[in-house]
Amino acid sequence: MEKELATLGKGVRCCSWNYCGKRLAVGYNDGSAAVHDSDSLSSSSTFSRSSKWTVHASSIKNIIWIPPDFGDAIACICVDGTLSLWEEAGEDAHSVTWKKCVVFERSGPRVLEVQFGFPTKYLKMVVAYSDGHVKVYELLDLLVLNKWQLQANFKNVVDSVSVFGKPTCTSASIAWSPRRGENQQSSFLLGFNSDLPQFNSCKMWEFEEHHQRWLPVAELSLPEDRDDRVHALAWAPNIGRPFEVIAVATYKGIAIWHVWLESETDHRFSSEKIVLLSGHVGEVKPTFSYPPVCSFIMRNACVWQLEWDISGMTLASTGGDGMVRLWQSNLNGVWHEHATLDCGGGKQ
Amino acid sequence: MPGRLMEPDGALIPFSTEVDVPLYNIQHGVKLPIFRIFVSWSRSNLLQVACIRPFEDDFNNEEDTGTSDGGDLGGKVVEVKLGASDPQISEAQRRRIAYGSVSPFAFLQGRKNALAMMSRMSSSSFGDWWQHVLEYSRSILELLENTNPPSRSVIEDPRIVLKLVNKPTGLKAAWQLMEMFYVDKHSLTWLPEQLVDWVAEYDCILSETEVTVHSKLFKLQEKLVNLQVIEDDPEYWEALSSALTVGWLDAVVKLLRLHGSYQLNQMDSRETENGLVEAVAVLVSTMPRLRHDLPAGKLGQCYKTKPDFIKAWEKWRGQITKLDCSAFWVHCGHRQTREGLRNLLQIMLGNMNNISNASFHWMELFVSHFLYIKPLTMSFEEMHRLAQKCLQLKSSSLSNGLTRLIVGALGENIEVVIAECSKSFGPWYGMKCILLMITHALELLAADSNQNEILFSERYNLGGISIVELHRIVYAQVLFSHSLTSQIAPTYLASCPKQGLGLLEISLSRQPVQNYTLILKDLEICRLYELDKICSFVKKITGMHQWKHGRKGSGIYWFQKAGDESRLNQIAQQLFECIGSSNTNETFKQWEGLIELLGPDVGTAGGLGFLHRYRDFKNSLRHVQYGRATDTARHSVELLIQLLKSPSTPQLLWLPLLHDSVKLLNWKDRPLLNAAETNLLLSKLQELSMLQLLPDSPQLDLPPLELASIRLALATNLSRAFLEE
Repeated sequence: MEKELATLGKGVRCCSWNYCGKRLAVGYNDGSAAVHDSDSLSSSSTFSRSSKWTVHASSIKNIIWIPPDFGDAIACICVDGTLSLWEEAGEDAHSVTWKKCVVFERSGPRVLEVQFGFPTKYLKMVVAYSDGHVKVYELLDLLVLNKWQLQANFKNVVDSVSVFGKPTCTSASIAWSPRRGENQQSSFLLGFNSDLPQFNSCKMWEFEEHHQRWLPVAELSLPEDRDDRVHALAWAPNIGRPFEVIAVATYKGIAIWHVWLESETDHRFSSEKIVLLSGHVGEVKPTFSYPPVCSFIMRNACVWQLEWDISGMTLASTGGDGMVRLWQSNLNGVWHEHATLDCGGGKQ
Repeated sequence: MPGRLMEPDGALIPFSTEVDVPLYNIQHGVKLPIFRIFVSWSRSNLLQVACIRPFEDDFNNEEDTGTSDGGDLGGKVVEVKLGASDPQISEAQRRRIAYGSVSPFAFLQGRKNALAMMSRMSSSSFGDWWQHVLEYSRSILELLENTNPPSRSVIEDPRIVLKLVNKPTGLKAAWQLMEMFYVDKHSLTWLPEQLVDWVAEYDCILSETEVTVHSKLFKLQEKLVNLQVIEDDPEYWEALSSALTVGWLDAVVKLLRLHGSYQLNQMDSRETENGLVEAVAVLVSTMPRLRHDLPAGKLGQCYKTKPDFIKAWEKWRGQITKLDCSAFWVHCGHRQTREGLRNLLQIMLGNMNNISNASFHWMELFVSHFLYIKPLTMSFEEMHRLAQKCLQLKSSSLSNGLTRLIVGALGENIEVVIAECSKSFGPWYGMKCILLMITHALELLAADSNQNEILFSERYNLGGISIVELHRIVYAQVLFSHSLTSQIAPTYLASCPKQGLGLLEISLSRQPVQNYTLILKDLEICRLYELDKICSFVKKITGMHQWKHGRKGSGIYWFQKAGDESRLNQIAQQLFECIGSSNTNETFKQWEGLIELLGPDVGTAGGLGFLHRYRDFKNSLRHVQYGRATDTARHSVELLIQLLKSPSTPQLLWLPLLHDSVKLLNWKDRPLLNAAETNLLLSKLQELSMLQLLPDSPQLDLPPLELASIRLALATNLSRAFLEE
């Protein structure tokens, strides 16, 4: 049923596949990163390590691939909040190696998460910080990844006028709209896991060309759930649906949302929570991450990752119960758990 | 159960909420506990799972015991395939079916489109559409046939009652059922006999564990070689009655002729007994059947019209009754023969008890009704009631997918049939054949115009697509997950009006670009389906990959193919700066090929036109060196003046140009530049010197000595030009 594809070395902390699933970037606890390449182009081929290098002195907690039309490049977020971008390049075919493009040194709050937008003309990077702020950068040079311009800096709150306290965020989740194309509006989802409720709920931010600013166009949270810390987010690929499908994981479970454009003229969005899936049931096991992502004991285990398949019909979730759960909607539109993969040795 | 929800009222397709979620244990080989799990839908819908060990645990282990379990193992990545695929169908055969079914499908879609066009133009309808679907269905059935035909002996062994054939697949059985119910309009007229034939072919797969007529006969056949007095064995008579119940007349007659009374040495002593056996054999072989035709060599008498059949049936029944009441039974000394034969007569007379005792599976009991109890055509409603009754009598559960399919079809409940297809024959993606079956089977269901509303109506729940489109999309996704079948996926997606091209775009945009052949294939698909945006995207990824991996020429080629002006302009800018900032010939040579590749049309904003003129000037200057011809030198001067006059020539390049001009200024034969031209050069040098005084201006990258030599050459040339003029 399962086939082994790769063996990862000691001290692995995170990993991430590139756009076609043929390259695997791995972040290590000692601050090094490695890239494993698939041995052949056929499906189910094994991976072998092609390079390993030191990124930073502190542990890499997240590794993210940059969209492929900007080369083979990754972003590494370290535990100390440093963000660095690396690309595979060389002057000739023999001198290709992983090179540092830019390092965003930590001057204040830590970087928690970074994601890259799909619009093809200008690459956009959203960086979420531990103080609840989010910065949007734009790449100035399409050929090199070292020239970034800060486009916006705002907080993940709907009410930008009120004064809030300073939150302490332990994690952040970002998901860009998977729609491609230069004419697409730039939009992304952002949710925090923080001690200030206003920052937590998942909001959809869209760039308004007219005023050149980012606006929250939808809040994917019911009034009674506003305090819920967001653990993971995933925006489903849209192959032609008249609405967007978004999965938001909180400690209560995984909520599936439909979001659609209500009015073209004033660009108003509507959203509806379709279902709350029970998520990863079971007692949360102690995790070794720092800072602890889920340090509380709840009925529901923490959701680690949400991942849609290419049609946006099947959602895979991983969680603290050691399971991978697959969720689908049946022909009547009822969401249900479709299969469970036990990776934790049968422990619930 | 996590995730279980109640179905909404008025649910379209009945899905049971009682079904347990399948649980799969992943054997990843990583020591527990797991620190993190990462997943990725790597290729289309194959799921890759990375299981990571806690890193603190590694250190603790080493400290505690000195040795670590798993050594340097930090995690594993596995690819997971869920769902058990049909073991009867090998991977190669699955691919053969997948490829073989494409052209019938495409042909059918083509016909449908053509008919739709025609019906728009004229009033012709889809009246005979089912015949096209039937043709398509037969093509698929051929593919589902087992590939290895059984070897046939020239001499027929009388002891072979059951021909040993490869076990048919459940897929084929289900396919044939759906063809029978939803496509073949002729078949519906003869449905009872069609079902009898279906049981004859698929009885062997009706149950894996329980006894069926087939398994009973098979067991007897194995015993036949060792049996001395066959008629003494109760299993012989049981097998006979069972075979007769389901209408396997050939097997019954064959078995009867194995009766000991046929042996030459016993003919005389068992004459009456033999006469009775033969009489029953004759009655069996002349059984009237209400059907379209009987395959050559098959026993029974075929009647196509009801009156003829009824007449023959009554006569046949009369003969059975007559034999049953005959006095010969008294003279038959062999008890088992007497009882066995009379049991056969009772079955033929439609005695429910005898029939029920001789059949095992509900389907066997069901078809025996059409043969002996109600041989005239029944309505669907009656057949559905009868099926329910048989299910109760044989206390069969509805666990078998084929059973539920038949009951659903008889109940004229297309929703149940769809649900069954999805549930019993899928919907897990790994089961390629099964999904193929559903995707194609919906074509069969769609042949019945009554079902079109359900199958083709667009549903909000499904994201605005129909049930048919949904299944095609899911199937195409499965095909995309394997490199050997991904090429046929677009055929199915092209027939999905709403979301097909969307999925095709995403799938193509996720193909690796390292392989040139693969890129060309993808681009060909883009061209075929007019996916210009993705075509450009694939080219951009390829261009970027080549550019970054040191194949700059190839990178430019792909950016040009993608029409990526932004990147080409930036490359032009890079060349520009590089050439401008360095005045060595080596640098220029290094970039010359790239300038050629970029062409004159791109980079108007970046001054690529200038680069071309600059290249010409440099080439001309090289000839001046070697040729020493004044004409060539004069041509170089013209190019130089053009360059310096052109507003697109950047200031960055003025100094290198002036540096290059020294050779021309110091031309020995005569001054090549007149006073006006020399003044132009002087003004440029002056402008550059003025710029140096401005804050933040770039410093001239030329040694003072070189600058002085330019000034001197300009001054000398000016004086010579004055003198000449």
